[in-house]
This record gives sequence, C-alpha cells and structure tokens, in this order.
Amino acid sequence: MSLSRREFIRNASVAGGALTIGFSLSGCSDSQLPKQNAADFQPDSYLRITPDGEVIVQIFKAEMGQGVLTGIVSVLAEELEVDPAGVRYEMAPPHPAFADPEMIMQVTGGSNSIRLYYDTLRKVGATTREMLITAAVQQTGTPASELYAENGRIKSRDGSVDLGYGELAATANTLSVPKDPRLKHPADFKVIGHQNDRLDARQKVDGSAMFGADAPVDNPLVAVVLRCPHAEGSCGGWDASEAKQLPGVEAVFQIDGGIAVVARNYWRARKAAEAVQTNWQIGDAPLQSSDQIDAAFAAALDGNEYEVVREDGEPPAAVGESLVVEYNAPFVAHATMEPQSATAQPTGDGGIEVWVGNQAPDVAQAYAAKGFGVDRGRAIIHNTFLGGGFGRRAAADNVYEVSQIVARMQRPVKLVWSREDDMRHDFYRPVMKARLTASVDGNGDVASYTHQIVAPSVTQSIMPHFLYAAMPAWVPHGVKSTIGNMQADTDNASIEGVADTAYRFNHFRVQYTNLPTVMPLGFWRSVGHSQNAFVIESFVDELAHAAGRDPVEFRRAHLPEGSRHRAVLDKVVAMANWDQPAPSRYLGVAVHESFYSVVAEVAELSMENGAPKLEKMYCAVDCGTAVNPDIVRAQMESGIIFGLTAALRGKITLKDGAVEQSNFHDYQMLRMSDVPEIEVAIVDSDAAPTGVGEPGTPPAAPALGNALFAATGKRQRDLPLQLT
Amino acid sequence: MSPETIEFTLNGQPARLEIEPDTPLLWVLRDELAMNGTKFGCGRGLCGACTVHLDGNPIRSCSMPISAIAGKAVTTIEGLSANGDHPLQRAWVAENAPQCGYCQSGQIMSAAALLANRPHPTDTDINAYMSGNICRCGTYPRIRKAIKRAAAEMAGDPVANWEPGRENRTGEVQS
Repeated sequence: MSLSRREFIRNASVAGGALTIGFSLSGCSDSQLPKQNAADFQPDSYLRITPDGEVIVQIFKAEMGQGVLTGIVSVLAEELEVDPAGVRYEMAPPHPAFADPEMIMQVTGGSNSIRLYYDTLRKVGATTREMLITAAVQQTGTPASELYAENGRIKSRDGSVDLGYGELAATANTLSVPKDPRLKHPADFKVIGHQNDRLDARQKVDGSAMFGADAPVDNPLVAVVLRCPHAEGSCGGWDASEAKQLPGVEAVFQIDGGIAVVARNYWRARKAAEAVQTNWQIGDAPLQSSDQIDAAFAAALDGNEYEVVREDGEPPAAVGESLVVEYNAPFVAHATMEPQSATAQPTGDGGIEVWVGNQAPDVAQAYAAKGFGVDRGRAIIHNTFLGGGFGRRAAADNVYEVSQIVARMQRPVKLVWSREDDMRHDFYRPVMKARLTASVDGNGDVASYTHQIVAPSVTQSIMPHFLYAAMPAWVPHGVKSTIGNMQADTDNASIEGVADTAYRFNHFRVQYTNLPTVMPLGFWRSVGHSQNAFVIESFVDELAHAAGRDPVEFRRAHLPEGSRHRAVLDKVVAMANWDQPAPSRYLGVAVHESFYSVVAEVAELSMENGAPKLEKMYCAVDCGTAVNPDIVRAQMESGIIFGLTAALRGKITLKDGAVEQSNFHDYQMLRMSDVPEIEVAIVDSDAAPTGVGEPGTPPAAPALGNALFAATGKRQRDLPLQLT
Repeated sequence: MSPETIEFTLNGQPARLEIEPDTPLLWVLRDELAMNGTKFGCGRGLCGACTVHLDGNPIRSCSMPISAIAGKAVTTIEGLSANGDHPLQRAWVAENAPQCGYCQSGQIMSAAALLANRPHPTDTDINAYMSGNICRCGTYPRIRKAIKRAAAEMAGDPVANWEPGRENRTGEVQS
C-alpha cells in the first residue's frame, strides 16, 4: 500500500480545545483511538504530546523480545526530532486503529511490523513535527522557513524562538493536518540506522518488567487447569471430593477446556489438582500416534492425492540417474520461557479486564468476552510484555480459561500454566515428510527437481481459533469452522520456502498433500520456512555434491544474477573464509529468503575424537534499512539459536493423541555451553525495511546439517539431526 | 498440612509469615509477598528462571520448600542492587542482552553468584556456571559478553566501565 493511497482524516469533533485526528490505513473515520486527555495534542492514534511536553507512543505490536517497541519509537522519533530514550510508551489496547492491514486483525507476526509501518510511522512523526512548527509560527510570528525541530523543541535559527513541544500542544490542537508532510532525507537520519540501545532493557534487568502473571491486582486467587491430555479427547468424568478438602482450596469446577482448581496460592492449587480424579477419554480422530503418522505420510508420498502447487518448464525427455531421497521434520513445541499464564478480574461495571502478553490482543479480547459472558466492548485487555512468543501467543486459550474462571469466582484470579501444561497443550509446528527427486545434466546443472511435501495444514488447524475473533459474535461456531476449513485448503504455511524459492531449475515441480493429524498446530517462528529451508537447502547441497561442484558456486549458478541471495551468500562465505577454511574445520552453508529478507549462514565445525563440535556461526542478512542495527544482530543470533535448538533437540512425539514430552528434561534446549560464537553482518541497503524476527531461523538447521556432511560424510535428512 | 510460622531475611529485611511448610520459596515470593521479579519456568529446577540467592549461593526457588529457608537470608533480583545498577545489570543493558526478558532475573542472579565466586571467569567457567539457566530468545552470546564486561568493571578496568548514552558494545564498530 503506497502512502498516497492512505488518508489522513480529520475528525470534526473539537471538544475542550482537543483535536482528534484519525490516521487510518483503511480510510475508516471511526478508527481513531479515543483521546485520553483533552489537553493532549494527539494528531493520530500512535502518539500524543502532553502540555508538559511528554511524548507518549502507543506500542501497537506485541513486544516479545524482537525489539519492536524500540523500532516503533525509533521510527517515530526520527521524524519527530525527539530522543527515543525520552519517549514514554504505552502498550496499546486492542483497537481498529491498530488492525494490521495484511492480517486484518491486530496481530504481531510474519515479521511484518517495521516493514509494514515504516512509512506510516515516519509520516506520523513528520506530520506532527510540521504541525508543531506551524503552531510555533502562530505563537511567535516567526516564518516557518526560519524554524526547525530539534530534540523535542521548535527553535529559530536566530535563537529568538525556543519552545518545547508541550508549550505548542494547545495551538497545535487547533490546526489542520498537512496532507503531504516532508520526510527527512535518509542522509540526515540520527535515529534510524543508529539507535542501538533497547528501550525496554532496564526493566528487564531489575525484575520490574510486567508479564501476564505479574499483574497488579489485589489478593488474587490462583488457578490451575487440568486439561485432557489426548488431543480431541474428552472428559469422561471427574471427582474432586478429596481435592476440595485440602488446605487453601477455594473451588474446583469444570470449564470449557478442562477442570479448574482454584486456591489461595499456586502451590495449594497444584497440590489439589494432583488429588483430582479424572477419566480422560481418547478421541476417535485418525492419526493419534507418531508411528501411525509416519506410516500414513509415507503412504501419502506414494499415493496420487496431491496438488501441484508449482511447475516450471517441461520435464526433460531423458534424464540420467535421478537422486531420490526423503526428509523428515517432527512436531516441535514453542516452549516459551513464560508458560501461558494470565491474570483477570471483574471490572466495577460488569465487565472483565485481563492482563496477558498476547500477539493478537483482539483475539484475546474476543475470548475474554466469551469466557466471561459479556460483549466484547466490556472486555479490557492489558497487553503486557510477552515472555517469548514465537507464534505461540497468537492463540488466546489461556485468556478464555481465566475469563471463565473469573466469571465463576467473581474476584481476581491468576491462571498459572505449569511447564507440563505448556509442553503438552501447545499449538505445534507440524510434522512433515518430503520426497525429493532430481537429476543433474551433463553441465552439472539441475535438469529436473520435484519436491513432494506431505504435511497437515497449520492454517486449517488454527484458523477457526482466529476466525472466532475476526467474525461478528453472532456467527455460529460451526459456520466458523467450516469457513476456516474451506479457505485453508491450500496451506501456504506448508509450502512456503519451496514453492516460492529463488532457485531456477530447468524443470521445477512442487507437490503438496494436506494430511491432517489429531495434533493442534500453530505458527512457529518462521513457520513453513523452518522445515522447508532445511529440506531444500540440504537437498541443493546434495545436488551440488552429486554434480561435483562447490556448494556455494552451485547455489550461485542457480540463483538469479544480481539477486540479494547471491549478495548475502558472497558476504557470508567471505566472512567464513569458505575457500580456505582453517585446518580441521568443516563448513556448511545455507541461504534462504523469508519475510522479504534474505539470510545466508555458514556453520563451522571441528571434530574432536570423532565427534563434531559446532564452533561458530556466520550470518549475513539483507533486511533493507536496519532501523536498529544491534537489534537486527540480536535477532539473527536469536533466530539462529532458535533454529539450532530445534535442529539438535526438538522433537515432540504423540501416543494416543497425547504428547509424550513434559518438561525441559525430555524436551531439551540448547544452553550456554552448547551455543557457539555468532558473527553477524548486515548488508548495506537503502531499501525499505524487511523482516527481522524470523528470517535468521530457517538457514540454521541446513547450514549445520551441511557442515555435518562435510565433516562426517553422512547426509542429515531427518530432524532433529543425529550427531553420532 | 498445617501452616507454620516461618521467619527469614529477604533482601536485608526481616520477613515472617504463616504458610504451609512445603510451599516452595518461589510461590512465597510471588503469591504471598507479591515480589514478581523472580519467574516461574519449569517447577523442577531445570531452567533457572527462579534463581535467587540463599545465604549468597544460587538456588532454584521453585524447588526449595520454605521450611528450608527458615533463619536464612534470601536475595532476589529486587535486592541485588539499590537502583538496578549492579555492574551486571548495567553490563546487561550495555550489551543489549535482554530480549523478552523473562529469564533474565534468573540469569543475572546466577551470574552474580558466579562473579562472587570467580571474579575473573573464563569462558569455560561461564559456560559451566550458566548452563543451568535456559534462554529461549538465545541471548547466551550477549550474556557471556555482559558477564565479562561486568567482571572487568568490578576489577577496576576503566575501559569496561559503562557510561550511559555511550555506544560501547563490545566487539562492534560504532558508526
């Protein structure tokens, strides 16, 4: 969407000297965030300036570690000419003004926040700046050409004018909004490209940062919920007569989704929950266990039920020997450090307010209203910091639970999920099986490449959860499920990273079979790219070796000339000294585009007594303009470690529809001692910003797998990778 | 299980409460005393998010019954420094270490115990001591740098001193 298609809309209501102006991507004039204080200058929903000169920015995306809070403030501050460190921020409520234009709802995901809002936020900052200058013209009579904005003040070149933004707020409130504010030239940027310090760091080192279970409510009860361990199973009865006798227990009752145990504190609730007798029933859905799923997926690869999602060129009339191999990826969990906890209490006027860190606060609002039994307008969501998101916190299952519990208890309640609850009731990355068939011609180029994918549809699995919030409340649930199923028949999340690859092959074909399992699925950092990059980047490596060519040279030859892919590849191999690695070091490379950014990574291994050891990861990223360069580096490090963790440890298995893992002893994480040095380079770019939170993840697993092949000669085709 | 009176020292102040003695320290801190800086991650001493100091030594408060705390001194993240300005906390900020932030109280408490025991830790020391603390955001490389920065500052190396507003992250050329 171009800026010219966007619209500033002036809301005619001027009350108490307050001007409210809607700045709306949709052009919808009722989408203005309500003004909180009549005296504030609030030129749009994103920010306001108080008469005291305080600049307050709405953080309308979820801060889950990716640094979006700092990014939003940085972009606004650049054009507004204020110090980002002096800006106050507030977590935005769910509101139509903040609906993501690509995702319709107020979702944080798809690494799109800065890419999508870069122009908007600059324009908001520039508009506000120009209105403050106009206000200064009116107050002082000094012509605008003599005035400039600097560090929260409007000054004149001759020094006669020096007014703080707060001193201009009242006058600015009376002005019309300039249609086409002048944006700064990038050469004049002082914040964008320079602001490295996170603005939320201090409260995250002194314990004061607030998460969902830290809400400031008075004397909350604590609830835990017992949930059916079998996906799509049911409760065949329960008995809490013993549990209710235990000290501190307030109530045990059934809710939609489980049995709630409410007590004076967490420990009493947990102890009582252990004393509840339950009779969980296994459901009758097919594919309840990992071995059944593997067998069915293998059969599907041999079957004829598939969709051809892409085919380029003609299959060659005669091909030489084909390489035919299979790749596998298991279910994986998000395992955010913060389990899915939330706090809620009744409001004085019959509504409910919920404190939760959520990636989709309007989904949370819909489920709070449903759980508490009120209209959505009576459900207040306080979006806190998220203790890790990675896609898990797009769902609002915890909000629905705590709201039902508060409806019954009619007093403040903290819902605490245990690690076991979190591990066993996630929305998992799907299992996937792929068959790759390819041949190389006499020139060592790929003659034909067919990529078959069998995977359940993420979209089909989770979309009904979102549609509940996206659709008017009166639509019956069955209708929503049906619509979700229909619209999600071709699941982009299953094919992304393959069907849209930048590689060019003479003949290229992608087949996809959607095979549902009983498992609830969700978006897992980089989604389909996370498995598909592993497959395609490992297999391209296989083809390079089959053709007797260097894996980097082979990739370059099949990537477009002048592409960003070639550029990051060239950069990373220079960093890693690809052509002349240190003695006894083994390198593996991968390059992958996701969320409009391109990332190349090299894994460097040593061998110690026959065992491979990961020594270092190199990373080159093209993410367009890097608004906060050190946060970009941190996100590459983060994405790489997330990808390596899944590549080396991540595997969730199912039996009778129940997840077999439970905590960090049987679902392990990389720890400090496992993590190598990571060197990140950001490719210079004047282009608009692209994704940062996720694109570091996809190349990590194949880079490591390819390095393991270099070191051991054994090709890694199954996740998690086998080091021995 | 009947409540008992438990007395201990919390961040230098006397604390006294009536509580069932099997209650883990973590839930006393969070549910009874509303001290929310210490986090719940696993409940089994596997992740380190709940790390506090007991008489100066790091413990996992999720797995320590309050009965074992009686008469002892507990330090939480809230008590590590008066103004959030312990050299480790400043080093964490200087290195842009936190991401989501959830595990960082535990990380910092572990690191504080490490430096108290080994003022000049090697990489091996850091890896060994800090491996009980999981971070899902992958801040480990920056935590490693931050510990070294704080160690250098505590040893009086002026180069490592952190100054607000100055970009001086290690290993990085500033524009």
